[in-house]
Amino acid sequence: MTLPPEAGAEAEAAIPEAVLAGAGPTEGRSLGQIAWMRLKRDKVALAGGAFLIFLILVAIFAPLIVKYLGDPPNEFHQELIDTAGGTLAPIGRFGGMSWDHLMGIEPVNGRDIFSRIVYGSRISLLIAFLATLLSVLIGTTLGIISGFVGGWTDTFTSRLMDVFLAFPLLVLAIALAGVFPDQAFGLQGNQLRIALLIFIIGFFNWPYIGRIIRGQTLSLREREFVESAKSIGARRGYILRTEMLPNLMAPILVYSTLLIPTNILFEAALSFLGVGIRPPTPSWGGMLSDAVVYYTQPHFMFWPGMAIFATVLAFNLFGDGLRDAIDPRANR
Amino acid sequence: MNHSRSWRARGLAAVGVSAALLLAACGGGGGASSQQGSGSQGAQAAFNAASTSVVTPSDQKGGTLKFANPGDWDTLDPGETYYAWSWNFARNYGRSLMMFKAAPGKEGNQLVPDLAEGPGQASDGAKTWTYKLRQGVKFEDGTEVTSADVKYAVLRSTDKQTFPNGPAYWEAILDLPNGYKGPYKSPNANTDSAIETPDKYTIVFHSKQPFAAFDYLAQQPDTMPVPKDKDTGAKYRNSVVSSGPYKFADLQPGKSFNLVRNDQWDPATDPNRKALPDRMEVSLNVNPDDVDNRILSGDLDVDVSAVGVQPAAQSRVLQDPNLKANADNPLGTRLNYTSIIPTVPPLDKIECRKAVMYAMDQTGYQAAYGGPFAGGDLATTILPPNIPGYQAFDLFPNGQDHKGDLDAAKKSLEACGQPNGFETNIGYRAERPKEKATAEAFQQALGRVGIKLTLKPYPQGDYFAQYCGLPPYVVKNKLGLCLNSWGADWPDGFGFLSQIVDSRVIRETGGSSNMSVRIPEVDQMLDKALTELNTDKRNQMWGEIDKRVMEEAVIYPGVYSKTLLLRSKNATNIMVTDAFGEYDYLGMGAQK
Amino acid sequence: MFAYIVRRLLWAVVLLIVLSMVTFGIFYLIPRLGGATPETLATRYVGRAATAETVHLTAERLGFLDPVPVQYWNWLKGIFVGADYDFGAGVEHCPAPCFGYSFITHQPVWPELLDRAPVTISLVIGASIIWLVAGVTIGVISALRRGTLFDRSAMGIALAGVSLPIFFTGLIALAFFSYRLGITSPGGHYVPFSENPAQWAYSLLLPWITLAFLFSAQYARLTRAGMLETMTEDYIRTARAKGLSERRVIVKHALRGALTPVLTIFGLDVGLLLGGAVLTEKTFSLNGLGKYALDGILNNDLPKILGVTLVAGFFVIMANLFVDLLYGVIDPRVRLQ
Repeated sequence: MTLPPEAGAEAEAAIPEAVLAGAGPTEGRSLGQIAWMRLKRDKVALAGGAFLIFLILVAIFAPLIVKYLGDPPNEFHQELIDTAGGTLAPIGRFGGMSWDHLMGIEPVNGRDIFSRIVYGSRISLLIAFLATLLSVLIGTTLGIISGFVGGWTDTFTSRLMDVFLAFPLLVLAIALAGVFPDQAFGLQGNQLRIALLIFIIGFFNWPYIGRIIRGQTLSLREREFVESAKSIGARRGYILRTEMLPNLMAPILVYSTLLIPTNILFEAALSFLGVGIRPPTPSWGGMLSDAVVYYTQPHFMFWPGMAIFATVLAFNLFGDGLRDAIDPRANR
Repeated sequence: MNHSRSWRARGLAAVGVSAALLLAACGGGGGASSQQGSGSQGAQAAFNAASTSVVTPSDQKGGTLKFANPGDWDTLDPGETYYAWSWNFARNYGRSLMMFKAAPGKEGNQLVPDLAEGPGQASDGAKTWTYKLRQGVKFEDGTEVTSADVKYAVLRSTDKQTFPNGPAYWEAILDLPNGYKGPYKSPNANTDSAIETPDKYTIVFHSKQPFAAFDYLAQQPDTMPVPKDKDTGAKYRNSVVSSGPYKFADLQPGKSFNLVRNDQWDPATDPNRKALPDRMEVSLNVNPDDVDNRILSGDLDVDVSAVGVQPAAQSRVLQDPNLKANADNPLGTRLNYTSIIPTVPPLDKIECRKAVMYAMDQTGYQAAYGGPFAGGDLATTILPPNIPGYQAFDLFPNGQDHKGDLDAAKKSLEACGQPNGFETNIGYRAERPKEKATAEAFQQALGRVGIKLTLKPYPQGDYFAQYCGLPPYVVKNKLGLCLNSWGADWPDGFGFLSQIVDSRVIRETGGSSNMSVRIPEVDQMLDKALTELNTDKRNQMWGEIDKRVMEEAVIYPGVYSKTLLLRSKNATNIMVTDAFGEYDYLGMGAQK
Repeated sequence: MFAYIVRRLLWAVVLLIVLSMVTFGIFYLIPRLGGATPETLATRYVGRAATAETVHLTAERLGFLDPVPVQYWNWLKGIFVGADYDFGAGVEHCPAPCFGYSFITHQPVWPELLDRAPVTISLVIGASIIWLVAGVTIGVISALRRGTLFDRSAMGIALAGVSLPIFFTGLIALAFFSYRLGITSPGGHYVPFSENPAQWAYSLLLPWITLAFLFSAQYARLTRAGMLETMTEDYIRTARAKGLSERRVIVKHALRGALTPVLTIFGLDVGLLLGGAVLTEKTFSLNGLGKYALDGILNNDLPKILGVTLVAGFFVIMANLFVDLLYGVIDPRVRLQ
């Protein structure tokens, strides 16, 4: 599955230019305010956003939620499994769903799926957010410098981005994650894994933001306000900070929001293939991977899959809405 | 309205997709559509009948047996292969000096002479063994098999640079000249100190130490003769010359091969083989669920790797009485256990180790491995019940329900000075879901008495060499428990115990399966058993070694491995041989 | 124009070399972080009964005791002129292109790659045709009927489609269509085209549809966006004013403008997918290049991984090159860069 081109393709097809306030100068509304008004009218995007807030809260308050609504995620409940008949399947319909176990239990060990999903949200969100942050930091920095300075720096950075885009990223990411030892750089165990995943996902994805920001910078560079700042004698650093960056915030924000779901899918894919988070820490991709051999008990694969789907959908809805709000011409 | 995307429809569409997925996914797990009826040919045998009797007996020749392997052979070269099922199968294309009888149940454990006329003759205090070969046995190209071919086969298997994967008994036991590197690298060395061939049909082995159970060594496939002029070293695996009733045809490495009749095989020289099918077709690297489905539908006959059915098929088979009656549940020659490592404090104190023995929930161990059918039986000894020498005893009873005796555990903890428990790490192979599940079970069960475990997964390729099997690493990383599993190289005490309870196989540089047993008394008992030529007395001694090791509480014997195997509709003479704990691949025939 | 092509080709070669170095580096240099030595690397390729000596001999035989650059150079040389391998009783010549012998199976890698490539190619070509046709058609219709029920539900489903991971959709599809209903082939049952075209199509049907569902969602959205953009352009109005039929306007003018970015992405997507449909192949148990790579990685079988990575990289780079050349033809400004 091609993850990066998806985000990149959408971007290329409808490059939003920083839209200056449509209303006349006397109205004095900032870009942010106008965008917010447009966003408020888009109910679907708001729904997506609301779900995201809900999800973030769930992730933050996971221990509390699990304490009241479920059982500890690693606790076994063998009495709920059909051991006598040998099938090791949960007893009861829908995979053992009950008021005690809202989403049923896992085969073989009877762990509560609900609490594992809740804890899994922490992993998914943490890695996706931090990886996106890393991508954005690298991509924005290199993109701006490349676009603004031009010349050899630009050529070099563009070639670098080409190199990244030309690699079979998933294979390399798997290879890197699979080969990395269990302790290095003073970290070990799951801490190291999480850091590693953030690094790999963030590092392999920076060209997508980089390319967009570079394109934006290139077009902004030619604008009048930059020209006029230059003609006053403003230094490069000043121009970058006060003229370019604020106008770039919009696309940065939009594409970050659109990059996060890609990263969630990336992490899920790595965990699914077995090179992501180590057990027994629950992760959505890992749960799907466990569920593969139990395809006769589909509830097991249903919940983690739906969790991934709902989260990614919410980000996409919200991101689309955000992009519409900032530049309504795109993708109407 | 300006917004072209009405929120209502978009939202509905997204919800619609979710609903579709929900519908597809739910409906309970059970709904097993028994696509195959109960239709089996001939008499409908009962569940697990093949473990004790022959199902669908027949002497009819002809037909094709179709095998599939969810993976691949380690190698088809008889000098290097090291899987039990491969040894089982190899008897079709090679004849070793001795072999396991093709008979069901315990009878399958008997050694009968194959290439040799009779069992080995011991002399010089069981240090010299003489075998006389049958006359008139031919390779597939018509040349006669002589003792020189057997000697060559054994010597080439000692070349560990060309054949790094095979068993290593010969190099350890035979009295080879110093620095001998095998026939390719030391072609002119005089190896008569190890193996002599006084005439075309006699072969004499000299071992460094007495070895009373030599016939077991002689049944290894690396005694199957290899013609020197046709040997291509590490490439021989693609062009094995057969001395058995079948020879290779259409070998496509990694994909498939066929065995067709070897017209040079003379049944008069071979009282052990019936050679019923005309042909055997073997497919490699087949998806394991696919294997199960095709056996059920009659498209395939046997899963040659005998790994057992996948969880999907397991559900179906166990819930449908018709399918279940057509399945067998043989006991393997494998113990799935956990090493309790006494070099890691506080497990250096026997009472702390005993606490682990009492506290563990053994039913959790069993469930992690697949339950009572597909996982195994609860184990209380190191030797599984089908190994000669097994004695039944239970030194650490864990309650009627086998979920652990928490009171005894707590008492032991107090006795070792850790009344509130302690912390340690548990290692396992990351790629093995069963081991992962077992480690998690340990974590839960031992947590009940305050023993806190941290899970440490390691890559299986390096597990023994770098992690749990490397003594300094274990101590440094506080790996008090390490998941382990051992299948006998052959079903006798030596074949089962030597690699896991002899302290002298432990290497400080790593690599041994023995992670925890360092009992000098046991080493002596092992040596003594090898000098005992009386088989029954020797077997008794193995049982005593088992008990002595268990007294030290350095091994938690989890389950005696069992597998759930499906019977073919087409095959005849389906029986489980105790020698391998699998279907016997030598005696099977085919109806069409 | 010629100079442009040559420059891009040279760059492609450079990329491939860099790719191979990176892959080599990953497998030799990263484990050193964890303290691996040539011996410990060799332990993966020996069996249960390995002694320290066996391990050392294996390390020697597999070339681990040579310095890393030497190993890399030997491997690179092998691709162009072939290599000789010592198998104990004889020396085997591995003809160019020689990607080495698998550490585990002792089989040459190149023939195995050739064997698996058709599976991946079948999977990708089949799915790509489906998704291109379906995606573009739906996108065009959606754009033309903007705001109608069709448009809104199509885009809704498309949004769901791009939010689903392939391994989830694939698993559900398998559970439902193959296992529950039995109408499609269960995983792992690939039949080569040359053997039986009907069976070949049947075995790939579910993977095609699942993969295509994912991508057509994306392409529908893309096409729709592109169409909407072009439809508002001035030249469309001119075309209409000239009296051309609506169909002509759409197909000949609007679509062409809208499709250019779509086709670009298509080329890149196909290239990337050819190089590593790892997730799809794992989910449906197809023995293609992706699964080969995965097996290689999980077993630390470097020759396999190098082989696949290079083939994958080759496809990706070729696809990029093709798209760049296409742009060079369409947009002369690019050539001057």
